[in-house]
Amino acid sequence: MFDDPDARVGADAAHLETCSECKANFQVIADDARAVATLLAVPDPRVDVDGAFARVMREPKAQPALGLRFPILRPARRPALALVAALATAAVVVVAFAAGGFFFQPTKVQAVPITLSDLQALSQLADYGTFNWTKEPQFQISPTAPEGDLQPPVVSKLPAGVSTTVTYGQMSQAVATFKFSAEKAAAAAAAQGKSLPKMPANMDGATLTITVGPAVGEVYGNLEQPSGASGNDINLPQLIVAKSISPTVTATQVSVTEIEDYIVQLPGISDELKKTIGAIGDPTKTLFIPVPVEYGTSKAVNVQGVDGVALGDNTGVGSAVVWIKGGHVWVVAGSIKQSDALDIANNLK
Amino acid sequence: MGLNLGARRLTAVRTDEEAFEALFTAEYARVVRIANRVLADPHEAEDVAQEVFVDFHRLHSATAQYGPAWLHRAAAHASLNRLRGSRRRQKRELAQALDEGDKMLDPQKQAELEEDRRRLRQALGRMAPKPAAVLVLRASGLSYAEVAQALGVGIGQIGTLLRRAEATLRKEVTRGTSE
Repeated sequence: MFDDPDARVGADAAHLETCSECKANFQVIADDARAVATLLAVPDPRVDVDGAFARVMREPKAQPALGLRFPILRPARRPALALVAALATAAVVVVAFAAGGFFFQPTKVQAVPITLSDLQALSQLADYGTFNWTKEPQFQISPTAPEGDLQPPVVSKLPAGVSTTVTYGQMSQAVATFKFSAEKAAAAAAAQGKSLPKMPANMDGATLTITVGPAVGEVYGNLEQPSGASGNDINLPQLIVAKSISPTVTATQVSVTEIEDYIVQLPGISDELKKTIGAIGDPTKTLFIPVPVEYGTSKAVNVQGVDGVALGDNTGVGSAVVWIKGGHVWVVAGSIKQSDALDIANNLK
Repeated sequence: MGLNLGARRLTAVRTDEEAFEALFTAEYARVVRIANRVLADPHEAEDVAQEVFVDFHRLHSATAQYGPAWLHRAAAHASLNRLRGSRRRQKRELAQALDEGDKMLDPQKQAELEEDRRRLRQALGRMAPKPAAVLVLRASGLSYAEVAQALGVGIGQIGTLLRRAEATLRKEVTRGTSE
């Protein structure tokens, strides 16, 4: 209030002039603000931007995207669809590369802690074959709930501080294929000067068919740009809830075990990930959520009576809960406390 | 077809690298300022800024509209996390104490102010992440709208969050003084 330009105008300003109680309160607030400002004051450091930029660019850039990209969305649509796209991307990537199988249809979720080096190692797989969309996902956003069989989840009660402004997002069902090629794998490895484990004969030419969505979601928060703001000033969503039909994968020629065995032999895969993959019981029933250990945390939780995963980012502000129930993958995510995310998840309908 | 795809990917990469350089140039000094506000140590603040930009560059597209907000929030939290690291804090306090010993100008007042500042930073480290970040970001010159975007809260809440955080911090500093 002390330094809020909008707090002391009109009737409020007039009241402040005449009310001794409010005047005294204002004085306390102003004293606190001035004291804190004085104590926090430090001289602005002089910085060498060019030198700092050169140092940052010398750091290797990880490529966690695994080489798969959704069709480019117009920038204005990205924030509202971020989670749906992220969910679908994660599903495609994780399903295609971490699990595999003759027929994959997950009924539960499990977090898999991975390192950036694992991500880089796994990203090589994208070059070991050909990725194609059979049916590209279509995205739509609207200010009202979409009509159709798949209805967006209903949040019973929003935590304090979360905006009630809602934007709805939809993603159509998408189907993609990935065809392994021993020739492409060898060429990709040769280009990077690496030696590869030999691809099993039946894996060469094997095709994974991945089906994700449809998905629906709600984004809470005012996504409109504030008046007079530049293009970079769009608001971040505070809360996103989404559900998607569980993804499926079918595979020709190759078994789950063969894909797992091949993945653990790739150069760069950590011992921890090898152990985790080795400990997977029936990978055709579990959706694995990769959690980069450098950036996030995860723990197993019970959501609506089923096993779920609670995720948190290392900044301590963002959190998410993911679970599978009734043939749907459900996600609650946002810049909210993990306990709030879990509370919303347990009361989501 | 293959060539077209390759050329398109190359253009996208170049555009992203250019966008990252533009983002870096626009935001680096501000990210250092935010970290320095917390740590009161320009060298450590530059370390934090470096980490924050490396993390952003690793995992995000520089054309993402949330870029500046992400950087501001990450700078505040990364530097507050450093402040909370007990070993580092002890080292910093020792260094600050030595610095104070070197200061010859108005030693009594200077020492009192430095002591208050040291207590303030200890208190910041004890506060919950969100109120601490609100204080730091606002003190670093971010507007109410920028603080709201960085922390993903409504702009209407910033005044209240800030007022409560200031009162909490002042109380914490006073508590530290009386201990």
